[in-house]
Amino acid sequence: MFDTILGPIEWAVAWIMYACHWVLTHVGFSEGPSFAWVLSIVGLVIVIRIILIPLFFRQIRASRGMQMMQPELQAIQKKYKGKSDPASREALSRETMALYRKHGTNPFASCLPILLQSPIFFALFRVLNHLPDIADGKRGAIGPINASVAHDIETSQIFGAQLSDVFKSAEGTNAKVAAAILIVAMCATTFFTQRQLTMKNMPKAALQGPMAQTQKLMLWGYPVVFAISGINFPIGVLVYWTTTNLWSMGQQFYTIKRMPAPGSEAERIYKEKKAARDRAKGIIPEEPLIIEAPAASVSSPSARTGTRVR
Amino acid sequence: MSRAAQAVRRALVAPIRWYQRFVSPMRPATCKYYPSCSSYAVTAVERHGILKGLVLAAWRLLRCNPWSKGGVDDVPPLGEWRSPTLHEGQHTDHHRLSGTAV
Repeated sequence: MFDTILGPIEWAVAWIMYACHWVLTHVGFSEGPSFAWVLSIVGLVIVIRIILIPLFFRQIRASRGMQMMQPELQAIQKKYKGKSDPASREALSRETMALYRKHGTNPFASCLPILLQSPIFFALFRVLNHLPDIADGKRGAIGPINASVAHDIETSQIFGAQLSDVFKSAEGTNAKVAAAILIVAMCATTFFTQRQLTMKNMPKAALQGPMAQTQKLMLWGYPVVFAISGINFPIGVLVYWTTTNLWSMGQQFYTIKRMPAPGSEAERIYKEKKAARDRAKGIIPEEPLIIEAPAASVSSPSARTGTRVR
Repeated sequence: MSRAAQAVRRALVAPIRWYQRFVSPMRPATCKYYPSCSSYAVTAVERHGILKGLVLAAWRLLRCNPWSKGGVDDVPPLGEWRSPTLHEGQHTDHHRLSGTAV
């Protein structure tokens, strides 16, 4: 069953890597086993994430549309301020979502794209895991990766370790050290991405209660889990994972700066900076006026001019 | 409900609960709907059984895409396929007349 679902994705992954490698050999990297194959994995990440960028900007645009409904949003938040019982929290999310729907804008990324990304990782994992078998002729070619190409890839080196080396079974100190460095890099990037997210970009409500306990636990738990499973990952997978983390980190950094989550620490900083910018430009902050405006009068002309001030 | 069906239900719901407990808190809020796709799936399977529950959950996941508007979308009551709340607040006469907006 896995083969029918992942087969076409494995084929696509193989072709993207092969194409990246082709480009790299034409800008001066040597043919055969070389660092170009390591960079091809990095290239794979970049290609996938570039394809997903339009979705990312769509989300950013959607969250800009949120400025229009600030007064109503604040009215809802005021209504449930200080209430932390589950029923109030649920009602808050429910009413907030209904408001987004009413205005035809929604700041959330949506679930499907994230779900669709995981098969890509599994496909890559399988491609890299099968390299030795393909090279030995025990398995057929995946797309352009036939026995000789598979042999080139698996013997390509980073820090003196082969892409198909696994920490647990690697022979020689070099391979072990390289694998260990990459495992640490993978865990560290995971940790910092999570910490940046939970500390800076989550609303205060999400940082209290039972969820917060889990967060604190998992912030350390995930790197530990990755470290333990990382000793079974081929170097190539570690390279992919670390690169993905680095990209996510950058994207998250941008997101937190430009469109912080409502009610988060990042939003407070964002608003402070915006207010300072407005003051420098000589714009009188109209925000208090908007907050006091009752939700019903949002469509009144005065409130609308208020929201137009950036 | 037979024991086997109950076991299958639990087997379906367990990984979603695990996701909600350990994975979701570490990710940015993602879902465009209320209730979220994961809690929708749990309710759908518990209320409508394995087959219909899975179909409803899969359909919800497909709808939770970058082009959808999101909003409040509760699991339909027993015997129905349409959400009682999805078109709430949209204020189109069509929905009011057809009685889908509560």
